[in-house]
Amino acid sequence: MSMRTKKILIPLFRDEVAPRFDLAGEALIVAVSEDGTVEGRQNLVLPNASADDLCDLVLSRDIDTVICGGIEEEYYHYLRWKRVDVLDAVAGTAEAALTRFLAGRLKSGDMLFAGGDSRV
Amino acid sequence: MRTAPCPSNALAPDLARLSEILGGLPIGIAALDLDCRIVFMNKALEDLTGFTSHEAAGIPCHHVLRCGLHLRGVRQAETAGRGDEPVKGRETDIIDRHRHKLPVRVTRIDVKNEQGGVFMFLEAYEDLAPLHDMERRLKDVAGAGELISRGEAMERIKKVLPAIAQSDSPVLVTGETGTGKDLSAQVIHKASPRARGPFVRVNLGPMPEHLLEIELYGRVAEEGEAVPGCFQRANGGTLYLSELADLPAAHQAGLVRVLDDQTIIPAGSDKGVRVNVRLVAATHKDPEELVRAGVLREDLFHRLSAVRVHLPPLRDRGEDVEFLLTHFLSRFAARFKKDIKGFSPRAIRILRSHPFPGNVRELKNIVEYAAMICQKDMILPAHLPGHILAALKADEPPVPGRPGENRGRKRS
Repeated sequence: MSMRTKKILIPLFRDEVAPRFDLAGEALIVAVSEDGTVEGRQNLVLPNASADDLCDLVLSRDIDTVICGGIEEEYYHYLRWKRVDVLDAVAGTAEAALTRFLAGRLKSGDMLFAGGDSRV
Repeated sequence: MRTAPCPSNALAPDLARLSEILGGLPIGIAALDLDCRIVFMNKALEDLTGFTSHEAAGIPCHHVLRCGLHLRGVRQAETAGRGDEPVKGRETDIIDRHRHKLPVRVTRIDVKNEQGGVFMFLEAYEDLAPLHDMERRLKDVAGAGELISRGEAMERIKKVLPAIAQSDSPVLVTGETGTGKDLSAQVIHKASPRARGPFVRVNLGPMPEHLLEIELYGRVAEEGEAVPGCFQRANGGTLYLSELADLPAAHQAGLVRVLDDQTIIPAGSDKGVRVNVRLVAATHKDPEELVRAGVLREDLFHRLSAVRVHLPPLRDRGEDVEFLLTHFLSRFAARFKKDIKGFSPRAIRILRSHPFPGNVRELKNIVEYAAMICQKDMILPAHLPGHILAALKADEPPVPGRPGENRGRKRS
């Protein structure tokens, strides 16, 4: 039986998780095997910042999990309704968030900056 | 209130005092260090963002405040206060902890030390949500401000009105009662360079001639106290005469003179007063017919009809009927706090076949009545005003039995 690859999308603001889903100008897509090995990663520059377009991208690329900062309620529930896991209100660099996610420890509201509480 | 490590330990007592002072202000305030990390937030900002100052301390502000202004490239958060354009009263939005997007107004102040060097920033966030809500509410109560349509006939007119608004020529608006003549006049005024001036609506309904003269041109009283007429009240703006056909012939000649000279002579005076008014007149009758009947002076008609707008009756507006029914239902359902999802197919059929002699005004009133008495989640025929059902019955072939016998009975 072949192992299923999971896809994670992180909207970016420079090297950080974008503080706002609707204003992200870039996105990182990471393919992860079931044992947690990163199989591939792709940086996408988005033509314009738009929550609608980003939702379309999530669905068209069969993304399993979105790791993002602030996201409006309607987009959050839309993605959840489409069976996409959403870990929102995550603040930190994309690498720190990804590492924590792969270790199975990332939760919504995690603040990964030194000086902040680990969870908000 | 916990604060992040402050830029200089020597300033710690000042910061503690500052956070105490700002704590009681009704406007949200964030103190940021030079790297734009949160030093502290006051209570109002905690309430606005949903984050506590304790949680946010030390975090880059764009992850806590999530302010559109910081992230849309107008100002990069980390270059704040370093010579970029000042942020003062800029309207933008934030997303709070509960995933709500909120409109805010942001102002940033540089805080300087005794040597004049900036050592921190204060950012003030005013919650604009209550103001936006009030704006929406007032617009809804006024029920005016825009011509609602979807059909081609009205869309064509809506495209032409802004162009008409740019000139100063008199306008004649024609159309049956309830087609939107008043609203069109307001749209012309609002889109015109006179929008900041007054919009004065005068109903030229039956009134004694001497009072009508005072209403139009004002009066200079014996004591010297002037009573301004509608032309003076509309000076610098637009005067809308809502029913031109009601204006007696003698006053029509006066109106021609005003249109030619832009000068009025108030009652009790022999001196002309110069006015700067754009005239919009309306009638629900056919103006050519009025001229033929001698009710409307031909010279006035020609001056007014340089720009003419004819509003089609609702029965000629095809798809607009259903669109307007839905539009007004959502408005009245919200006003009456009812969860009405729509019209039943039979109610829609009845309304579609109704000729609406009172046009949009009648349709609006019908929907208001139906929404008012409806206790279900759907407008049924029984919720429609009696005259609609009576008209329908009159058109139907006679049914044996007493009139009204079938009301409320289930259809087989």
